[in-house]
Amino acid sequence: MVIKKEVIKREIAGDTILVPVGAAVYDSNGLYALNELGAFIWDMLPDVSGAEEICERVVAEYDVSPKEAMDDINEFLDTLGKLGII
Amino acid sequence: MIRRTSEPQFSTYFHSRGRALGLPIAGNFELTARCNFNCPMCYIHHSKEQIAASGRKELTAEQWLGIAESAKNNGMIFALLTGGEPLLREDFFEIYGGMKKMGLMISINTNGSLLKGEILERFLKDPPFRFNISLYGGCNETYERMCGRPVYELVKENIRTLKNAGVEVSLNLSVTPYNCGDLERIYKDAEELDVGVKMTTYMYPPVRIKGDGCEANDRLSAHDAAKYTVMWDKLRLTDEMFAQRAENMAKCISDEPLSCPMEEGEGVRCRAGSSSFWMTWDGKMLPCGLMTEPAAYPLEVGFDNAWKTIREKTAEIRMPSKCAACGYKDICGVCAAVCSAETGAFDAVPEYVCEKICETVRITQEYCSERNL
Ligand code: SF4
Ligand code: SF4
Repeated sequence: MVIKKEVIKREIAGDTILVPVGAAVYDSNGLYALNELGAFIWDMLPDVSGAEEICERVVAEYDVSPKEAMDDINEFLDTLGKLGII
Repeated sequence: MIRRTSEPQFSTYFHSRGRALGLPIAGNFELTARCNFNCPMCYIHHSKEQIAASGRKELTAEQWLGIAESAKNNGMIFALLTGGEPLLREDFFEIYGGMKKMGLMISINTNGSLLKGEILERFLKDPPFRFNISLYGGCNETYERMCGRPVYELVKENIRTLKNAGVEVSLNLSVTPYNCGDLERIYKDAEELDVGVKMTTYMYPPVRIKGDGCEANDRLSAHDAAKYTVMWDKLRLTDEMFAQRAENMAKCISDEPLSCPMEEGEGVRCRAGSSSFWMTWDGKMLPCGLMTEPAAYPLEVGFDNAWKTIREKTAEIRMPSKCAACGYKDICGVCAAVCSAETGAFDAVPEYVCEKICETVRITQEYCSERNL
């Protein structure tokens, strides 16, 4: 998947944040905070083609059903899309 | 799974984490002592000649980036680039770009006069999180008197361009005998530009240049500082808000005796030295730029050791015991830096500040009762 907005991932004392750079600063007015699952998915985004592939990896890593995982993933990708990040 | 978070929430959150865990969440980098203005109340400005004569040197871009990298590895998220006038550095964008690549949220303190042409173009492509622009007056004549450069209209135009492009701008206004006549005009212009203004009538004695503090400088008397503080409140607050402010002030006044001789003074209450640090232009780490000590030298001892020293020494600082028991302590603006700049000691009461707040409260209440607010 293609990350459109320039953001830099940082880990600070157990928190994961995305700091916008370049033109991405204009529409963020702040930063983005990721929870653990969000950070896990974020790291794989450049290597995966879509939600299904993400789901396979999430189910392999976490104790969660494919259906539950898919709901969360779709919501996450939807939010990233709305924020213009992917 | 993802949350957009804006200031001040994330700033407060990370600073409280930083304080608890001893992380330098914010770093302030005084990139240069040089400035193209010459303001009488400035505590840092040195000319090129003064710098050469002092035997001290500005840090190189490489040194700044090295310190920033170490601070980032220790948890720094926020970096303030300040001066002097930081945009005077020929290698400014090398430092700025390098810090941006580290994933730092950068704010820039500037007088706004150089935010045009190629510099502006570069910022529009890659803006900082925020510009804090210092305003010195509300017309060219006042600018000339205060900073030796008649550039108010130019600065105003530069602010407008940034705002129109969608860049975050906030204004800082220091009120002095040179520009106190311009308050109304500045307020109106800021409203028209739709930019917030942080006004202060309190000027530090310039201890970092002149030595031990307590020297007269070009600041307002405590009574005049109070007068202009209230004048600004009248401009920016509705009658209702002003009356609320007077009521809150009244709650601070107590008939109880102010201090117990046994009571210990409080420690540093702000973020200085617990989740933020200041680097002077010549490489000294301080808890805050308005203190002269405790100091540490990251280029000599390494960032981690310098930060540890600053944290430990800051934790030992005690403010006056009288302030700990004073009802005004949350509204008078007292802090460790103010005490030491005014008196030469962290634990001595800054009388100028006491006089200013008493007069501010008196005029505020007088105004309310005259108008039955
Ligand atoms: S500086 Fe003066 S007014 Fe402020 S807390 Fe201390 S004693 Fe009270
Ligand atoms: S000036 Fe005072 S309140 Fe501000 S950072 Fe320094 S010590 Fe803290």
